[in-house]
Amino acid sequence: MKFLVSFLVLVFAAVAQAISSSGSRLLVILEDVAEKAGYSKFLADLEGRGFDIAYETPKSESLSLFHLGERSYDHILFLPTKSKGLGPNLTPNILLQFINANGNILLTLSSSTATPSSIVSLLLELDIYLPADRQGLVVDHFNYDALSASEKHDVLLLQPPGALRAGVKDFFSDASVIAFPNGMGQTLGEGALLAPVLRAPATGYSYNPKEQTETVDDLFASGSQLSLVSTMQARNSARFTVVGSADMLSDKWFDAKVKKVGEKDTVKTGNQEFAKAISGWAFKETGVLRVNWVEHHLNEEGAGNASNPKIYRIKNDVTYSISLSEYSWDKYIPFTVPESDDLQLEFSMLSAFHRLKLNPTISSADSTTYSSSFKLPDQHGIFNFMVNYKRPFFTNVVEKNTVSVRHFAHDEWPRSFAISGAWPWLAGIGATVTGWLAFCTVWLYSAPAATRESKKTR
Amino acid sequence: MRFLHSLLFLAAGAAQAASTWGFDDATVSVSSKKGAGAKEKFNEKAPLPQSIVLGSSDSLKILLTAKEGGKGKRPHQAFVMLQEPTTGLEAPFPLTVKDNGKAVVEIKHSDLPTQLAASTTPLKASLILASFGAAEGINKPIFDIDVATEPNATPIVAEKPMRYGKLDDIHHEFRADPKSPPKVISLVFVLAVLATVPALFIGWLTLGANVSHLSKAINAAPLAHGVFFGSIVAMEGVFYMYYASWNLFQTLPVIGVVGAATFLSGTKALGEVQSRRLAGER
Repeated sequence: MKFLVSFLVLVFAAVAQAISSSGSRLLVILEDVAEKAGYSKFLADLEGRGFDIAYETPKSESLSLFHLGERSYDHILFLPTKSKGLGPNLTPNILLQFINANGNILLTLSSSTATPSSIVSLLLELDIYLPADRQGLVVDHFNYDALSASEKHDVLLLQPPGALRAGVKDFFSDASVIAFPNGMGQTLGEGALLAPVLRAPATGYSYNPKEQTETVDDLFASGSQLSLVSTMQARNSARFTVVGSADMLSDKWFDAKVKKVGEKDTVKTGNQEFAKAISGWAFKETGVLRVNWVEHHLNEEGAGNASNPKIYRIKNDVTYSISLSEYSWDKYIPFTVPESDDLQLEFSMLSAFHRLKLNPTISSADSTTYSSSFKLPDQHGIFNFMVNYKRPFFTNVVEKNTVSVRHFAHDEWPRSFAISGAWPWLAGIGATVTGWLAFCTVWLYSAPAATRESKKTR
Repeated sequence: MRFLHSLLFLAAGAAQAASTWGFDDATVSVSSKKGAGAKEKFNEKAPLPQSIVLGSSDSLKILLTAKEGGKGKRPHQAFVMLQEPTTGLEAPFPLTVKDNGKAVVEIKHSDLPTQLAASTTPLKASLILASFGAAEGINKPIFDIDVATEPNATPIVAEKPMRYGKLDDIHHEFRADPKSPPKVISLVFVLAVLATVPALFIGWLTLGANVSHLSKAINAAPLAHGVFFGSIVAMEGVFYMYYASWNLFQTLPVIGVVGAATFLSGTKALGEVQSRRLAGER
C-alpha cells in the first residue's frame, strides 16, 4: 500500500513537472535582454521542456542568486556578455556557492567577446583553462565549413563525439554534423570530475586572433587536448558545462546548411539536437541516478530472512540488492549499466574485503534491481556495504550501510564427534567412564579373593 | 544571392585547386652531447624508412621550407605532431617560420611530455602545414622517433591520472579450515585407548576381583544399593546429556538431584559395605 501511494505521488509529480529532475527555474544572463531573439529557437526548446526562464543582465541590481539563503534559481545559462566583469551579484564566489548549493550552470563562450574576469576566475577554480588574455579562436584548416568560412576557417564541422571512453554512456551523439562557429577552446586539468564532451579534431588548434595573425609561435592547445565543450560534475552532482561557442546555439546555426571542405553535398547542421542533448544534460534532464532502496539479508537455508539486520556472523552467506532508476527527460526509467562497465559492491572495513559485480535481477517499469550474493569474510568487525558508483555524466551514487560482523558463538562450531582428530580423546573419556563404573562395582560388591583371604582379613 | 556567392567560391576553389601546401629541403638531425648524431633528409612523398633515435640528453632539429604551390610561403599552422601510438596522446610542436617559408623547430628530450618520454613504442611524428584561404593543407607522417631509455638514468614514470571507472574485483581469501590428522592415525589411537579397558579388566580379574557379594549387598540394603549405584550411573548420563544438548543451567539442577540421591542413599549403602568390612568379609 505504502509503495502504491509513493508510486502514485511520483507519477503525479512527474506529470505535473515533466521537466528537469532538479527544478524548473532557469536564469538566463545576457548582455541585453533583446539579444535573446538571436537564440529564440534554443530558448523556445527549453521552455517547451518546461523551464521557467527569467532573463537578466549582469548590470541589473535586482539580480540575486540566493534569497534568504536558498537558491532563487535552479539553473543558470550564461550567454556572452561584453562587460569586463559581471558585477557584484555574480562574483566567482557567489557562483561557486551556487554550485555548492546544487545549482547547475551552462556557460557559453565566444571568441568575439572577451570572457568576463569573473567567469575566468570561476573556471580557474574548477581547473578549466582559457587561452591567455581571454583571446582565442579555434580554427581547423582541414574540417571547416566551405560555405561560410572558406577564408577564415573558423567554423568547424565536427562529427558527433561518441562515447568518452569504453564504459561511459554516450549522451551527446544524436546529432549529425555539429557546426562549431567562432568558438573558444579550453584545456582541462587532470581531475576526475572534468570530462570533455566535444574535442577539437587532430588538426584543430586555438590561436590569438589579435596577436598571432601571421604565425602561431606560442600554441595554447591543439588536437584532442583542446576541448570545445567541457563538463564538470561536482561531488554533490551539481553540473557545470562550458560550451565554447555561443553561436552554435543561435538560430542562425540551428538550421544552417554547411558543406565540409573537400566534400560535395551540403548538409543541415545537427546543432539543435546537440543543443538539446547538452542543455538537457547540463540541467539534469538526463543522466540523473536515483537509489530507490537498498536491502540485504541472510541467504542461508533455515535462517530467518529479515531485511537489513544489524549484525551478521563471519562466513554467513548474504544477498545485497540495490534498486536504481535513471531520469530521462521527463520520467524515471530502469537504469542500465553501460556496456563494459560494472556496478560494484564493496564489503569493506577500512579497505575492501570483497568488491563484486552487481548483476541485474528484477526490472520494473521505472527501476532495475541489482544484486549480488556472497560469503562474508572470516574477519569480525564493523563493515560497510558500499556502492560507490561515480561515472562521467552520471550523478554520483554513494550508498553505505554499516553492519557488525561477529565471531562464531561457542555453540556454532562443529561438534567434536565430527572432528576425526578428536576421536582418541572421546575414546579416552569413554574408557575412563567405563573404568570408573567397573571400579565402583568391584569396590562395592567384590568378595575377598580366596587365595589372599588370610591377608585381607584384619 | 547566397547561391551565387557559393558558386563564386566554388569557382575560386576550382581555380586554386592546384594550390596546395607542401615542403622541401627537409632535414632532421639529432644532436647529442656525445657529438653529432644522425642527419636524414625526408620528403613529403613517404615517411623515412628508419626511425630516429632520441637519447635522453639529445635534441631533435627539423629544418624545412614550407611552400604553397611550389613557392616558399609562411603557413599559419606549421606543427610537428608527436603521437604515442598506443594511447593516441599527441603533443604539438609549432615550427618557427620565416616569411620565405624557412621553418625550424628544435625538440629537446626534456620538452617531451612525460607520457611520450616514457613511451616504449616509437612515437609517430607527422607534419601539418596549412593556412587560411583555399590552399589545401597537408598532414603527413614524416618519421618515427625511438625514445631511447638510458640504462643508468632514473626511469621516467608517467602516472595515470585518476579516472572514475570500474575497479578490479576483489574476492576475500579465506583462512584455511583447521585440519585433522589422517583418520587412520586417529583410529589407531582410538583402538589403543579402548584396549586399556579390557587390559584393566583382565588385570583386575587376575588379582581376584569379583562381584560375589552383589546378592548379599542387595539383600541387606536393596533400596540403598539400587539408588546409590543407579545415581552413579545416572551422573554419567547427566554428563552425557550436557555434552550432547543440555546447557549448564539445565545440567546443574539435575546434578543437584542426582547428587542428593547419591548422598542420601550413600550413607546406607556405604554403611552396609562398612559392616561387611567389620565382619571381616572384605
